Amino acid sequence: MEPLDQELDESEIELPTEPMLLNVGPAHPAMHGTVRCVMELSGESIQKVDVQVGYLHRGFEKMCERGTWTQIFPYVDRTNYVSPMLCNVGFALACEKMLGVTVPERCQWYRMALGELARMSDHLTCDGAMAMELGAFTPFLWMIKGRDMIWDLMEEETGARMTHSFGRVGGMAAPPTAGFKENARAVSEQILKIIEEVERLLLGNRIFLDRLENVGIISQEDALSLGWTGPCLRATGLPYDVRKASPYLKYDEVDFDVPVGSTSDCFDRFMVRIEEMKQSARIIEQCIARMPDSGPVNIDDPRIILPPKDEVYNTIEGTIQHFKIVMEGLKLPAGEVYAYTEGGNGEYGFYLVSDGSGTPWRVRIRPPCFYVTSGLERVITGRMMADVVPCFGSLNMIGGECDR
Amino acid sequence: MPTFKLDEREIPFEPGDTVIRAAHRVGVDIPHYCWHPGLSVAANCRMCLVEVMPPPGRPAMMLDILTWDKAKGEYVPQRKPKLQPACQQAAADGMVVKSQTSEHVIKARSAVQELLLLNHPVDCPICDQAGECRLQDYWLQHQAKSKRMRDEPVHKPKGVVFGPNIVYDAERCIVCTRCVRVSEELAQDPVLSVRERGNLNEIVVSPGRQLDHAYTLMTEYVCPVGALTAVDFRFKARVWFLRSARTVCVGCATGCNSFTDYDPRSQKVARYRPRENLAVNKYWMCDDGMLDHARIHENRVLNGRVKGEETTRETAVQKAAELLRGKEGPKVGVVLSAEHSQEDNLAMLWLAREVLKTSLIFVSGRPEGVADNILRHSDKNPNSAGVAELVDVLPLRSFPDFEDAVAKGQLDTVVSLGSALPQPNSTAPSKVKTLIALAAHEGPWVQRAAVVLPASSWAESDGTFVNANGQAQVSEKAISPQGDSRPAWRLVSELGRALGVAPSWRKAQEIEAAVPKTARNSSSPPAPSAGANG
Repeated sequence: MEPLDQELDESEIELPTEPMLLNVGPAHPAMHGTVRCVMELSGESIQKVDVQVGYLHRGFEKMCERGTWTQIFPYVDRTNYVSPMLCNVGFALACEKMLGVTVPERCQWYRMALGELARMSDHLTCDGAMAMELGAFTPFLWMIKGRDMIWDLMEEETGARMTHSFGRVGGMAAPPTAGFKENARAVSEQILKIIEEVERLLLGNRIFLDRLENVGIISQEDALSLGWTGPCLRATGLPYDVRKASPYLKYDEVDFDVPVGSTSDCFDRFMVRIEEMKQSARIIEQCIARMPDSGPVNIDDPRIILPPKDEVYNTIEGTIQHFKIVMEGLKLPAGEVYAYTEGGNGEYGFYLVSDGSGTPWRVRIRPPCFYVTSGLERVITGRMMADVVPCFGSLNMIGGECDR
Repeated sequence: MPTFKLDEREIPFEPGDTVIRAAHRVGVDIPHYCWHPGLSVAANCRMCLVEVMPPPGRPAMMLDILTWDKAKGEYVPQRKPKLQPACQQAAADGMVVKSQTSEHVIKARSAVQELLLLNHPVDCPICDQAGECRLQDYWLQHQAKSKRMRDEPVHKPKGVVFGPNIVYDAERCIVCTRCVRVSEELAQDPVLSVRERGNLNEIVVSPGRQLDHAYTLMTEYVCPVGALTAVDFRFKARVWFLRSARTVCVGCATGCNSFTDYDPRSQKVARYRPRENLAVNKYWMCDDGMLDHARIHENRVLNGRVKGEETTRETAVQKAAELLRGKEGPKVGVVLSAEHSQEDNLAMLWLAREVLKTSLIFVSGRPEGVADNILRHSDKNPNSAGVAELVDVLPLRSFPDFEDAVAKGQLDTVVSLGSALPQPNSTAPSKVKTLIALAAHEGPWVQRAAVVLPASSWAESDGTFVNANGQAQVSEKAISPQGDSRPAWRLVSELGRALGVAPSWRKAQEIEAAVPKTARNSSSPPAPSAGANG
């Protein structure tokens, strides 16, 4: 009988040593959305990886160049479909910056409250999916339950769960519903409870911690040079948050902290998102407290805002106003603008060029995920195959943002 | 040159100019409804009111008015400067005029706009003018508020048939009298006039008459609102779906400049609009020309034909080459067409000289028609002068010469361009043994041809046309060639290649460059502007 501790080196079995090429994606259950990773594996460790985005084939920046500025809202909805309200408001703010107008106070608080709810939805999805992919199915179900509460609230407000197309240049499609404040407060409280439960379930779990801690580390310099922003950058310890760095809407008037990480690993990225949800809840509370219950939501400018429908049907002035805005589009003054907000995954910017006609000349979107995903290669090279799952999950790639 | 100041901008003017005309010439638009550069001044719409500053040391002309004082809750007396209509105000050297910079002017324009829309029906969704309507544009630019009147608007007749081409809607009408002046001053037929006063007034046709002179569509063209609509265009298309090409009317030898408005989705022409060219047609076109766009799609030859049977263009070209092979020499004739552009005729000329080796070159075209001393020319071909100029080194034979030659049996084989005959009843084409016709439309040539090659119309390619005054003008391509048709010069090129001779030009730019430039004295027309009806 052969000794059990026979060393492999002495055996006659030759293991192949050349690296193996493995193609993961573009449509693969391990991938979030359609992205393709071509990996060169040596055993289980990743020697080289080539991350390829762009499998949605949409060309939405080009699509923006026909039609009107208002018609872009459905497109930006679909860049980050987990937090479309942030995209909607970001685009509306860019157009308003070009027009030099500011929406009424009620609308500003409303936009902020909806935006922070959308941010919660984004982070719940990311952290929940991350846990699920590491085998923790229960937190995923709880967090998705929380996200569904937000989506129900969004449906109540906008009529759509996911892609709302609710923003408008100069305001919102509709004023807040009567029950908005009550609902938003209830949802935010519920989500805080869910987060607490999730923390209790996960943060003492050895397996969960071992899979995340010291995995997927990236240096602050690398993150900055890749153009990272948002939770992934803050996990490196840099407190860059557009809401603090260059406040828009009423963010300079609300009280909130910017959580940062220390080791820049997957666990930090997970925890930054958890903490941010708690901060969002703080912001929502303040928005609800300060949002007036009545007053205009849209600015009062017939060149920008559509008239009420009964005026369109019954007066020639309303008809003309409607006609000019719908058929020719509202006219942004000739020029260019870069406007940026804090999206779910970082700095969400719009570079708009207008020639003064009703049709956009160029709409360039700076989606945070495009830059974050470009760092995936650096994060997972040299790691084990199994680490791809938490690393990729913690970067929170949104396919719609990565598509050009 | 003397100048005056308009909103801090120096505007040069010629003696006799009004403020609005001088500003219009340098591209500064003072809002207006009733003024039109080609018509007399009516000064009735009051939209072009401007504030003329008094000469230094002189008091301004002031009006006593009452304004509502909200704090006091009553009207209080006030004074404001008397504004002048820019369309009537003669420009004077050193004059200072305020348009957009005067608060009184801004207020007055807003008030005028409010009054004009007081009784206007909610018709934009069913109005053909929507999208190029002054009321829409100026409301947003100069008023952008709801009217204060809450009464039922005055109702007036709608859908009044003025004549064969024009339908009138009195509710939409702002009674600017542009149509009245077009009839009187351009068409010299004062058939339209204004009835009643105030908000009851409307345009009427003289009793016992119809609006049926030769320029009725110009009344619709100058109408700044949707009051006059053309039967031809009514409910056919929405203007924001249309694109415009800068073209030349091919209805007669005047060569009026026009816009061809077409739908890019269906590749169909929807209408013509006059294009300003002071050296040719000024601002106008006649009804015959305006309605001539129908010919682009009517009675077209869209496929090749061999002995009356439809076939592909390629087969027809091969068949034509077969018929022509070995026939080179004096028994072959080539018929040019004054209906077609210089490019097409140049290609035919090349076919005659270089391929068929013949000097028997004739010219055909459409028969003569009605003329007047306004725009319409008796020669109904757009390019008679151009063909004469192209062939000046060879003897050019007219259509009677062609009939003669056929009768004497001199012609065995003929290649013809064009669809019409100058003498519609002539039987000459049927007496030719082998006739190969390049034609865009059904007609005597196509009926009697052994082989028909489908040529595209003037709207489907760029082309140069020389009008009766010797002005060469380029008409731009609007739509893509219909059916299997191609520009005639391209068909000639295909035929030449099938016979083993290739022309030196292959592309549209190359044949355009080959057209002789001797007669190119056309004034360059201004750049197109959307809804440019003055």
